[in-house]
Amino acid sequence: MERKTIMICDDDKGILEMLELFLELEGFHVICEINSTNLITQLNTHKPDLLLLDLWMPLLSGDQVLKIIRGTAEIKHLPVIVLSASVDGNVIAKQLGADGFIAKPFDLDDITSGITTILSN
Amino acid sequence: MEKNTSHIDKLKQHIHNKSNDLDLYLKALNSAYSGIIITDNMQHDNPIIYCNTAFETISGYSHNEIIGHNCRFLQAQDRSQPERQIIKDSIIRGEECKVEIRNYRKDGTLFWNELFISPVKNDEGKVTHFIGVQNDITARKKAEHDLREEKSHVEQKIQERTKELQDKEIFLSSIIETVRESLLVLDANYVVLSANKHFLNSFKVSSEETVGKPLFELGKKQWNINSLKELLTQILPTNNPVIDYEVDNLFPHIGRKVMLLNAYRIEFEGHYKDRILIAIEDITEKKEQDRRKDDFLSIASHELKTPLTTIKGLVQILQRMSGDHPNPKFVNTLDKMSSYVDRLNLLITKLLDTAKIQSGNIELHMEPFDIDKTIRDAIDNIKLAVPGYEICISGTTGAIVEGDELQIIQVVNNLLSNAIKYSPDSDKVDVGIHKVANFVKISVRDYGMGINYQDRLKIFERFYRASHIQKKFPGLGIGLYVSHEIIANHKGTLWVESEPGEGSTFNFTLPIINNDDNDGA
Repeated sequence: MERKTIMICDDDKGILEMLELFLELEGFHVICEINSTNLITQLNTHKPDLLLLDLWMPLLSGDQVLKIIRGTAEIKHLPVIVLSASVDGNVIAKQLGADGFIAKPFDLDDITSGITTILSN
Repeated sequence: MEKNTSHIDKLKQHIHNKSNDLDLYLKALNSAYSGIIITDNMQHDNPIIYCNTAFETISGYSHNEIIGHNCRFLQAQDRSQPERQIIKDSIIRGEECKVEIRNYRKDGTLFWNELFISPVKNDEGKVTHFIGVQNDITARKKAEHDLREEKSHVEQKIQERTKELQDKEIFLSSIIETVRESLLVLDANYVVLSANKHFLNSFKVSSEETVGKPLFELGKKQWNINSLKELLTQILPTNNPVIDYEVDNLFPHIGRKVMLLNAYRIEFEGHYKDRILIAIEDITEKKEQDRRKDDFLSIASHELKTPLTTIKGLVQILQRMSGDHPNPKFVNTLDKMSSYVDRLNLLITKLLDTAKIQSGNIELHMEPFDIDKTIRDAIDNIKLAVPGYEICISGTTGAIVEGDELQIIQVVNNLLSNAIKYSPDSDKVDVGIHKVANFVKISVRDYGMGINYQDRLKIFERFYRASHIQKKFPGLGIGLYVSHEIIANHKGTLWVESEPGEGSTFNFTLPIINNDDNDGA
């Protein structure tokens, strides 16, 4: 099976490293981005199969990023799973057309099942 | 002789005629309604020499007991009446008089005598007799007396009530002036009848620009809000008060403020039913503090959860890696770490929820969900946190309910953690999920200490903590309040059945949607 590329965008280094470690163990190709303002360029460059996106980030928040993605022709259909510790994260995610939402802190099983469900569709 | 005889005959005839006349007069006198007496003024002490039948009836004395007495015998011991002097003077002067005097019957009972005395004079103008005519006016006197009494009684009552009302008004107005809340009294047309000092000071307005003006036209018409108007119009006819109505508006002189308005119909012992009391509290500061607190807690919770996510993830990675680790202690230790991380997460979540509920900022995200699955998943999660506890689930409903799933999970968590917390000597909790008519009913039964009647009435109140558990079981006294509010927001009910020493059962219901589709379940 072709190795899928997952991009993770989160302003927390710990979470980035942990998810990178886990997803690589799960056999994915992982690209991490800690600075959300670089994200759109990165997405255009690497063309990942799926994006794991944090909401609360400085400079450019997750919901702003998501709006840009859904409004940019090349990456419009990129599957996005929102990861957030904020209470209304799931509502924001749904409103902005995310494909999934997983509340922090999460079970890693939920991450894998979320990714595989979306990618298999 | 003949002449003499005829003279005597004439005289006899005359006497006979006179006697007939006298008989007629006596009959007339005896049939009179009024008592009539004649006294002989020429004799010592003016004795009664004649009385008619009516006088006997009125006085209760018989003819023989009356004749020879002076009239004063009717006065018994009641000798100090001023009317006596009037009678005396009239008799001395030989004049008529009319008095109303208290007299006493033979049996001692009082009667009011309307007495009319008229002198009879001889040719020389000397008073030979007095004629007394008497009427028993006791009934009339009594009626007059009663009327007078009643009138003075009513007057006294009115005075007392007026005084009472004045006292109360003074009392009330002193409260109104002292209280640290803005108060307005409106009439039925919402015109301000009075405004207390606190109102004038808080809104920086004068009495002149407030009193006499309709509420809705005060200042820059900041109270002219349709929904508020509607509520106020209901107060007088229905006596439904307006409770905690928030007005967020720009006010002249004081700027943007959030005011909390409560309005009641004034009930003053049947008076003033057409008046409205409005109490206004400036909650701008409080709202701002609440908002800051909410923001702080949201940020704090988010910031705490971020490193927790990393820890939880790393622990899970280690758990996966240790799948075939030879040392079971290593695996156990990781499992323990994992459950404590979950507990820490639960605490952080609770902290945030508490803050949100306290400031009334709960938003419902209503969506249909499978209640059986939600309850079972919630219980499975709790089981992880309390190993060794037996949580038995019974029943299924197959029902779909519409609601905020996360909040329902929170209620289940609250009820289960209470059941566990307050049953230190038990390790069993039963959870029932059943369908009752158009509702699902979820019951959480513990075998703990139970709740007494007094506490049962209050446990759903905010910050209420039963006194005897205060020290033994620390807590905020918010869980049941929050749960109760959440279930009420879902149009269900939450209640408790319990006896001290016999454990408690907390039940809640939620309405089922598209019932027809789920009937087969």
